Amino acid sequence: MHYRHSATISPQFKSTLTGVAVDAHGQLYAAGDSSIKLFDPAGQLRRSWTASQPVLSVGVASDGMVYAGEARQIEVFEGTGKLVHIWRNPKLAGRVTAIGFTGDSVLAGDTWDRAIQRFDRNGTFLNSIGKDNPVNGLLIPNGVVDFGVAADGAIYAANPGKHRVERYAPAGQLLGHIGRFDGNDPTGFSGCCNPTNVAIGGAIYTTEKAGPRAKMYDFEGKLSAVIAADLFDPNSKNMDIAVNGNGCVYVADTVKLAIFVFEPVNA
Amino acid sequence: MNEDPTRRDVLHTAVRGTVLAVLGGGAGFLVRKANGQIVWQVDASRCINSRLGETGVPACNLCTTECVVALSAVRAVNEHAKCGRCNICPAYFKITSPVNERGYPSEKLCPRDAITRRPIGKADPDDPANNFYEYVIDESKCDGCGKCVNCNRCSIAKACPQSAVVQLPRAQAI
Repeated sequence: MHYRHSATISPQFKSTLTGVAVDAHGQLYAAGDSSIKLFDPAGQLRRSWTASQPVLSVGVASDGMVYAGEARQIEVFEGTGKLVHIWRNPKLAGRVTAIGFTGDSVLAGDTWDRAIQRFDRNGTFLNSIGKDNPVNGLLIPNGVVDFGVAADGAIYAANPGKHRVERYAPAGQLLGHIGRFDGNDPTGFSGCCNPTNVAIGGAIYTTEKAGPRAKMYDFEGKLSAVIAADLFDPNSKNMDIAVNGNGCVYVADTVKLAIFVFEPVNA
Repeated sequence: MNEDPTRRDVLHTAVRGTVLAVLGGGAGFLVRKANGQIVWQVDASRCINSRLGETGVPACNLCTTECVVALSAVRAVNEHAKCGRCNICPAYFKITSPVNERGYPSEKLCPRDAITRRPIGKADPDDPANNFYEYVIDESKCDGCGKCVNCNRCSIAKACPQSAVVQLPRAQAI
């Protein structure tokens, strides 16, 4: 599998670009500063709205509702940008750096608890994910909890301190993991703490910091492709990643404040 | 017998408390006057070496070579509140060295073997990735080369091309 850089989207955020998400129609949502911006599949800006706080992550549910992760809360918007709920919960004690969905549940990456908090659609807390391990949480020296959700509902969480992507059941059981440290071989994850971010599509997609790169693994943990490396700013880290139904990969460069789009090219 | 201290003695006293703060990550270091209220501290965000591997800039050794004392006044400590505990610590391991059978880099980074580590809490022998570590620096070995924080530099401050060594009130120092 190979990828080519097919487009660059400049969402025109002033300071931060923290999250990307793709909905079932191929629309791209970008979180940055204190706003969310919506782009059509061609990369044209269609809508933009502001949140009450800096937005740290974004997720789009199957019903089109847009969830914005913030500090100690989640704001829930309609697709038009109309605010419909603000979730505050003791289990959201830190920065909400990832949002996802499995079944009827909403998942939020919480940096205070170093865990993924699972809620029902009404915002009632159900359980934590990632706490049931010997170090009582995900090892996140980068300060970000990130994860992706597979079609079968399994949750793939980045555990950068372990150089792994861990697979969890929604109820919190650790089901397995892929990944290992390697400072040279790109089949492994480099540095102190990688990968930083994860997305799930037909494969496992990851990003790393120092040096920043995006990669694709199969579900057995075999490296399928180094999607890109040189394109990113060398100091970019915690680059959120998303993938659409066609396998196109979106990576948020947190220094260049640009979203790079990569298309798969079958050799 | 001449009781007047030599310049070296004075400087030795002045920099006795020298500290290199924070292994890896957000590194910095301090050169602390023994009885004074002012310390030297490296701004790791400006130090060239702290960005090695990210920007591709060449390494800087001035902290090691420019100090007026024979063994550079710069010293490293591990500021656990800001950085530390990692299993694969780039200040401890040479992370680009080949991976050994246990999954670790096969070489250490410190050229003077001044860094040791010990597990925090109960160690998990079956899965080392589950372990936290405390890193300790033997100051008698450390020569302030800055490889561990990727940092280094008083005579040094003058030499730093990035003006990364700044003076701070003690209370504001790391």
